[in-house]
Amino acid sequence: MIQKNLLFNKIFFLFLMITLAGATVSNISYAVEPEEFLKDPKQELRARDISKNVRCLVCQNQSIDESSAPLAKDLRMTIRNKITEGLTDKEIYKFLTDRYGDFILLNPPLKSSTMILWTLPFVLFFIALFVLYQHNKNSKLR
Amino acid sequence: MRKYFLSAPLIIFFCMMIVFYYFLIIKRDPSELPSVLINQKAPMFETTTLFDNKPFVFEEESGQQVLVVNFFATWCIPCREEHPYISKLSKEKNIAVIGVNYKDDSRKAIQWLNELGNPYSKVVVDSNGRIGLDWGVYGLPETFIVNENNIILHKQVGPITNEKYDDFIMHIENSIK
Amino acid sequence: MAPSLGYLTLWLSLCFAILQFITSFKKDASSIPQFHKIAAIGLLLSTFFSFFSLMYSHIVSDFSVLNVFQNSHSTKPLLYRISGVWGNHEGSMLLWILVLSAINYWIYKLYNGTNSIFVSKALQMQAFITIGFLVFILSASNPFERMIPSHPNGLGFNPILQDPALAIHPPLLYFGYVGFSAAFSLSIAAMRLENDHKIPWHKYMKPFVIAAWTFLTAGIAFGSVWAYYELGWGGWWFWDPVENAALMPWLLGTALLHSLITVERKKSLQTWVLLLAILAFLLSVIGTFLVRSGILTSVHTFALDPARGVYILSFVTLLGGYSLGLYAFKSKNFFNKDYFSFFSKEGSILVNNLLMVIVCASVFFGTTYPLFVEIFSNNRISIGEPYFNSTVIPIMIPAILVMGIGPVLSWGKVDSKKTRRQIFTSIILTILATIMFFSFYRSFNLFGLVGIVLSSWIISNVLVTLFIGIKKESDKKTLSSVNCFKHFNGMIVSHLGVGLLILGITGSSIWQEENITRMKVSDETIVKNYKIVFKEINKLAGPNYYALEGSFWVYNEKNKIITVLRPENRIYPVTNNTSSEVSIHTNLLRDLYIVLGEGDINEGWVVRIYYNPLVVWMWIGVLIIVIGGLLALKSNLTILRRGN
Repeated sequence: MIQKNLLFNKIFFLFLMITLAGATVSNISYAVEPEEFLKDPKQELRARDISKNVRCLVCQNQSIDESSAPLAKDLRMTIRNKITEGLTDKEIYKFLTDRYGDFILLNPPLKSSTMILWTLPFVLFFIALFVLYQHNKNSKLR
Repeated sequence: MRKYFLSAPLIIFFCMMIVFYYFLIIKRDPSELPSVLINQKAPMFETTTLFDNKPFVFEEESGQQVLVVNFFATWCIPCREEHPYISKLSKEKNIAVIGVNYKDDSRKAIQWLNELGNPYSKVVVDSNGRIGLDWGVYGLPETFIVNENNIILHKQVGPITNEKYDDFIMHIENSIK
Repeated sequence: MAPSLGYLTLWLSLCFAILQFITSFKKDASSIPQFHKIAAIGLLLSTFFSFFSLMYSHIVSDFSVLNVFQNSHSTKPLLYRISGVWGNHEGSMLLWILVLSAINYWIYKLYNGTNSIFVSKALQMQAFITIGFLVFILSASNPFERMIPSHPNGLGFNPILQDPALAIHPPLLYFGYVGFSAAFSLSIAAMRLENDHKIPWHKYMKPFVIAAWTFLTAGIAFGSVWAYYELGWGGWWFWDPVENAALMPWLLGTALLHSLITVERKKSLQTWVLLLAILAFLLSVIGTFLVRSGILTSVHTFALDPARGVYILSFVTLLGGYSLGLYAFKSKNFFNKDYFSFFSKEGSILVNNLLMVIVCASVFFGTTYPLFVEIFSNNRISIGEPYFNSTVIPIMIPAILVMGIGPVLSWGKVDSKKTRRQIFTSIILTILATIMFFSFYRSFNLFGLVGIVLSSWIISNVLVTLFIGIKKESDKKTLSSVNCFKHFNGMIVSHLGVGLLILGITGSSIWQEENITRMKVSDETIVKNYKIVFKEINKLAGPNYYALEGSFWVYNEKNKIITVLRPENRIYPVTNNTSSEVSIHTNLLRDLYIVLGEGDINEGWVVRIYYNPLVVWMWIGVLIIVIGGLLALKSNLTILRRGN
């Protein structure tokens, strides 16, 4: 009984975390300059969130939010312009990937080619649960 | 059943090694991105020419012949090294090369071209990088081949060097066919 | 003279390694240990001399040695001339070999008259690994290559790498990676003997694993410390391939560490241990290869010629193929039919193992998946922080929950009532601690709640366990300081460290605040309750750089000065690099972190001020984890000496 509760709690927690973990945990920027800030703080926050997902193409493994490269700044400005023009997040990402490909996104898009990537950890997790359950059943028999 | 699980690590391991070998052997540069614009319509743009500040509409220039579009700047050192090959290209193949002066000082650019020679049939200005953004430019120099149907057939990232020149010519010839 | 000596002793090392390898083939096992004595000591001494020849060349700035020319300069401070030895590819390989030789010697010390066959097989494997690396270094990465005619001075060294934390980071990491080679060799030897029950191979493995894991923890921590203090972004983990390359062996090492306990007590999970020991070392080598091979983009500074990459990859394939093949056939000799209840200590350790392996697989997959996509679809995708955070964190959470109650559970069966009381107490303590925290720190946030709950959960369980242990002493009337300190064993201390680490991670990730603004001299601005005044800007000169330094006076809400922060922008003329030196004021509650950006006297400068809560608890937490590891190592060595 205790085992079942523990299992259930684990699963519940897991789903809770998945749904919430997509969001980034902080909105600190390391390269944005004060002149780039949007006047509306909500929009600025959106710009930060989107920027954190966009790779700086001339750097090694940084988002445009963290890089001081000129291209990063251009992309930051472009994103802010698009936000003030009223595009949705999805449209802005499409704008970028239309020009630079999926590589520019730090969060790989959910396509058929990336299905395995996103689901593997959780598939493994459930396999692990199954293994534990089998193990538990076997130990009960003894 | 358990016996098969025991072989799993070995099999997964060999698969991974094969993937790594493949990448080592093909020697590709991980920072060089394939262009998503290949076989797509070239993005249209309107700007002004560098020398006489006249309006320039890309749509009018393309669609009639094979074009080479070269993004360059005076602050870009590899562009300077690439310059003789662009000149060679425009003379040899009698092809129109449009130069896009990317995020540069126009006065400096005119000086630069006067000093080194102007290989371009037309030179235009992209002062804020918008054109570059639309063409997926991320590092200069970048050179595109656009065919007469306005489709981008090839993109060269980085300078056209001695080694890459013949390859680039071949791509041009393939576009003309 | 020194470089020639270094090169010669390197060849000598190869000879000793080959001697050790070949000797193990002898049929007459009794004479093997003597040969191995010569080989092991010879190997250690010659690699020692080789390494210190290179170090000498660096210290005296002998620019006729290509390695010194490429990586050093006469103006480099002594500390960084020393650490520059391993701050490049060839030197780091030599350090790797030195540590391999040291580990080799300690495996040799396991000989006790009754385990000759076992130890000789372990030494044979270890020799093979050493030979592989020696051949690599002698053929493709020779650190003693000369440059004639020599230049009067060198090319210098990247200034952001001239930092004490980064100086000690590689040696610690290598002790970790290479330490796992011992576990690897012992695992191979155990499988080759097909579980000869007289050999307590897991007892031999344990001190090596604890030592390797402890050093790896410290090495990773110093890397993060450096990133935080040097890179100017206030970040300390970026899921960069080079970080992942260190994290994966660490995760498997953690699983290995815990499973060795169950093998010791209950003889269960042996096949797990054998596999983890193999994988931890394999991943160490694969990771090292990956980030130098040029097939992934990474901030790592070493670039490797693909030809060299092919060599390392072939070597790894050989090692992996042999070890995992052996595992596929021989590990069935180690099956144990004693099933245990899920709700027991073994059960919790099994859960820990599974989850650590899943996280490791996630990280590995995330790091290498772009390669798969590229092969099959010619599309380039990239995988960065958001992916790793979304997959690793949800799986770590159950792992941490189990980590809390694991130590409280007993072996085999469970005394439900007692355990339930203990867990109940911990839950109450956790709730109390969480409420206390949020009443003091009124910024509520869901992730923050999760982090604080997890942190308090671990710490509460540690306190409950301690309390029960000390109460036992009091019941037995044996209450004394010695007996109480006995309860501060490696596990308790390390787990406490983890709790504090989680506290630090939560605080610094969730409740950060920033103020980015342009300031002219004598401007002021506000961050949280602090007033920051830009007092002056100065030019100054260091041993190999010039700098622009800003002076910022920090006032608290009572308008008292707390500190003066002095961030700098430096130029290193020799390498023509610039760097930004952050200025930080630390206390137990938060870091005030300030960076001087671009600007001039007329427009002012871009100033970035960050308020980072609880950062110092990450470093304290890791320090305590390392102390716990050292405590465990000490007690294990005592047991080993007694047993031998």
